[in-house]
Amino acid sequence: MKLNQGRWALVAAVAVLGMMPWARTAAAQDLENEQLLKPARDSWPLYHGDYSGRRHVALTQITPGNVGDLSLAWAFQTNQAAQIKSSPLLVDGVLYFTVPDNIWAVDARSGHMIWHYNKPTTGGDHIGHRGVAMYKGWLYFVTPDCHLISLDARDGKVRWDKLIADVNKGYWTTMAPLVVKGHVIVGVSGDFDNLQGYLRAFDPQSGAVQWQWDATPPAGTPNATTGGMTWMTGTYDPELNLVYWGTGNPTPVLNGTTRPGDNPYTCSIVAINPDDGKLAWGFQASPHDTHDWDAVETPVLVDGEFHGEPHKMLMQSSRNGYFFVLDRTNGKNLLTAPFGPVNWALGIDKQGRPIPNPAKEPAPDGRLIAPDEGGLTNYRAPSFDPRTGLFIVDAHPSWSIYFAKPADGVYGWAGADYGVWGKGVIEAIDYQTGKIRWSHDVGASGSGAGVMTTDSGLTFTGDGYGNVLALATEDGKTLWHAGMGAPMQSSPISYELDGRQYVMTSSGGVLFAWALPEKMGGTR
Amino acid sequence: MAVTAGCAAAGWMERPIAAAGQTETPPQKTVQGAKNPAAENPGAKSYADHCAICHGDQREGILPGFPPLVGISHQLSNDKMTALIHAGKGRMPGFPNLQGGEMSALLHFLTTADAAAKPAPAGGKTGAPSGLAEAGGELFHQNCAFCHGRDAMGGESGPDLTQSKLVLGDKTGEKIAQVVHEGRPDNKMPAFNFSSQEINGIIAFIHAREAAAAAHPGGRRGVTVEDLQTGKVDAGKQYFNGAGGCAKCHSPRGDLAGVARRYQGLQLEQRMLYPRGAKSTVTVTLENGETVAGTEAYLDEFTVALRDSNGVYRSWPTNRVHYTVQAPVEAHVEQFSKYTDDDIHNLMAYLQTLR
Repeated sequence: MKLNQGRWALVAAVAVLGMMPWARTAAAQDLENEQLLKPARDSWPLYHGDYSGRRHVALTQITPGNVGDLSLAWAFQTNQAAQIKSSPLLVDGVLYFTVPDNIWAVDARSGHMIWHYNKPTTGGDHIGHRGVAMYKGWLYFVTPDCHLISLDARDGKVRWDKLIADVNKGYWTTMAPLVVKGHVIVGVSGDFDNLQGYLRAFDPQSGAVQWQWDATPPAGTPNATTGGMTWMTGTYDPELNLVYWGTGNPTPVLNGTTRPGDNPYTCSIVAINPDDGKLAWGFQASPHDTHDWDAVETPVLVDGEFHGEPHKMLMQSSRNGYFFVLDRTNGKNLLTAPFGPVNWALGIDKQGRPIPNPAKEPAPDGRLIAPDEGGLTNYRAPSFDPRTGLFIVDAHPSWSIYFAKPADGVYGWAGADYGVWGKGVIEAIDYQTGKIRWSHDVGASGSGAGVMTTDSGLTFTGDGYGNVLALATEDGKTLWHAGMGAPMQSSPISYELDGRQYVMTSSGGVLFAWALPEKMGGTR
Repeated sequence: MAVTAGCAAAGWMERPIAAAGQTETPPQKTVQGAKNPAAENPGAKSYADHCAICHGDQREGILPGFPPLVGISHQLSNDKMTALIHAGKGRMPGFPNLQGGEMSALLHFLTTADAAAKPAPAGGKTGAPSGLAEAGGELFHQNCAFCHGRDAMGGESGPDLTQSKLVLGDKTGEKIAQVVHEGRPDNKMPAFNFSSQEINGIIAFIHAREAAAAAHPGGRRGVTVEDLQTGKVDAGKQYFNGAGGCAKCHSPRGDLAGVARRYQGLQLEQRMLYPRGAKSTVTVTLENGETVAGTEAYLDEFTVALRDSNGVYRSWPTNRVHYTVQAPVEAHVEQFSKYTDDDIHNLMAYLQTLR
């Protein structure tokens, strides 16, 4: 066998050189439970920044008064065609972000690359990637072909590689895992086939499976649904020790005849004990869905008053067009209100769930439905601003036509649907009433940007034309913008490093760090 | 799961570097004894001399440090590859002396030999149609499946290709190749940079799916002209002239004369509900009082642009001018919440008489 000594000499040299600039200190690249529970200002250690999913930061250096001076600190080019849809993590000055098959570690101060991991895969849907999770010195990354890979955060070296699901059955994975205490919780995608949705917890150290929670019965169970995919990252309440997760649509998708009833727990918000995977409660946003309206949008956790009474609440702007406020101790509904055009429900039932109108199920000659299949909102993150009590979401008012006929069968999609019209609107919802306090149009084709709010009263998001926007949280007026070249497909984050606040957005395959200009010779 | 129509196109654009098979373990070296390609191909020789040490004998890469180069032509144009090879990048050294004929040969090798670097399908008949469709299927699943479905029968936002008129009438694959290469910007389908061999694989896969779909009609999805015949012509005509308000802008003897010959079935219904691409008119009043009118070319919060009667593009900051938009198509949006499904079916029945 030909021995390629030159190559190994080079690999060894790179390895030695490579370790020096970021040689590990006791503290560097270590992420402990305490830091996850109370993230520092100079970190963004979880997909949503913290366990609450509010995407609200306490930082106040950038204000409505000075945001007009915001400028580019640096940009990072991935040189890839894939669009960035992930939220970066920031731990000890290093950013970690992804597109399918790829992770980059980038210096958050300068934007230069520290390392890049690429695992080319051919199986599975490469639709997008939401980011990595981190615990202690290790990253957790899912691949389109359903592997969970643990890597060394220092250099991207693979520690172990475990299977989440069988890609050949039709599963794929895109999501950022959620680390809760000693558990790495991972969800799955796959609604082109009649498959069971589930959550699976892995041991962060060994990668051993700890538990699995099934959203639906096994495929083939008579008169039962499949589906309930778990493709977005959940949130966590450490006091109640409950993880909150949204589940996706039932399958077959557009034809509900083989799955009579409500189809629990598809299109649901579920509360699960992270230690054993046992369900505490579940709330169905869409009973017996026939329109592909996953309820996987962020379950946002808010403590505050509701109609004068203190509550531990959970809020979701759901893809089916309804905004929900729940008591997250028991799943009881406090408020259900549409936040845009919806025409598929007969009313709201006693549990606060919309009642699907059978006449609006997909039909051979078509049914006009609002919203469209993409929904009134989607994976883009909303933000809750505690100062104003506003829940701010990138909404997509839209209309579409849905078809299904017996000849379409009862497997996978089992029908057809076509968007007719839609637009993008940033909406500020008063969580006590569900009323829209202000709305801000972001373009005929819709946006794609998530939302982040700050304690200084700013809302960062994007429009459908490629502008990043800073809005006044109180009234939605534009205070600053910059053209990034393509619409943002991710949710903004913010952090403070060396006394300087950064806002991070993406566009296409480029990551942008925005900050106030550094002053010559003075403090920043 | 899905994204909105607005970002659905994003899914199509996400393309990884195609891999030399699955890579749970480093690819096994099986070239010993195989025909040495470098002997007869100067590009392969150049690759073996300069690149293989890091990118692997079969361009499979050595992960995570050294990227595979299989499928690199989807990622980088020849110009970009040349620049990268000359200048180097990160830990990769530059090769400024690689010029002229050797560079051309190397680029040719990197961009055309992808299929040869793939593992042979089971059975080993690389030239057999089933192998071609299989290789095309992999590319299809990576690049096309989210919108067109894993089985090419329609997905989140793309049409069922097994029922597509273009596909059914394109036995040689020329038209499919053209759509893949050029994209369909109006429908948000991006262009894809595949080699002709890869395109042939994708075409073979689509045609194989078309045959499979025809063999199992129960699985078919899509909308036929026959599905859209449940309405009543008289009721549709009444709606057109009355409650629908259609007659305010449209006329069966004017703009809609022969509309049912131009559009049929689903396409006619979609255009009836909302005619995408309808033009709006913008009138801009400048600071000096001058007025400019034309077809809306661009409008966001910050910039308004039009094409004037000479076809010239002009733009202004929205805070420096006064402008108004005349968008008669918006009447279609106002109608959505007023329609019953019967109204739509009746209107469809009436429009289908305008031949």
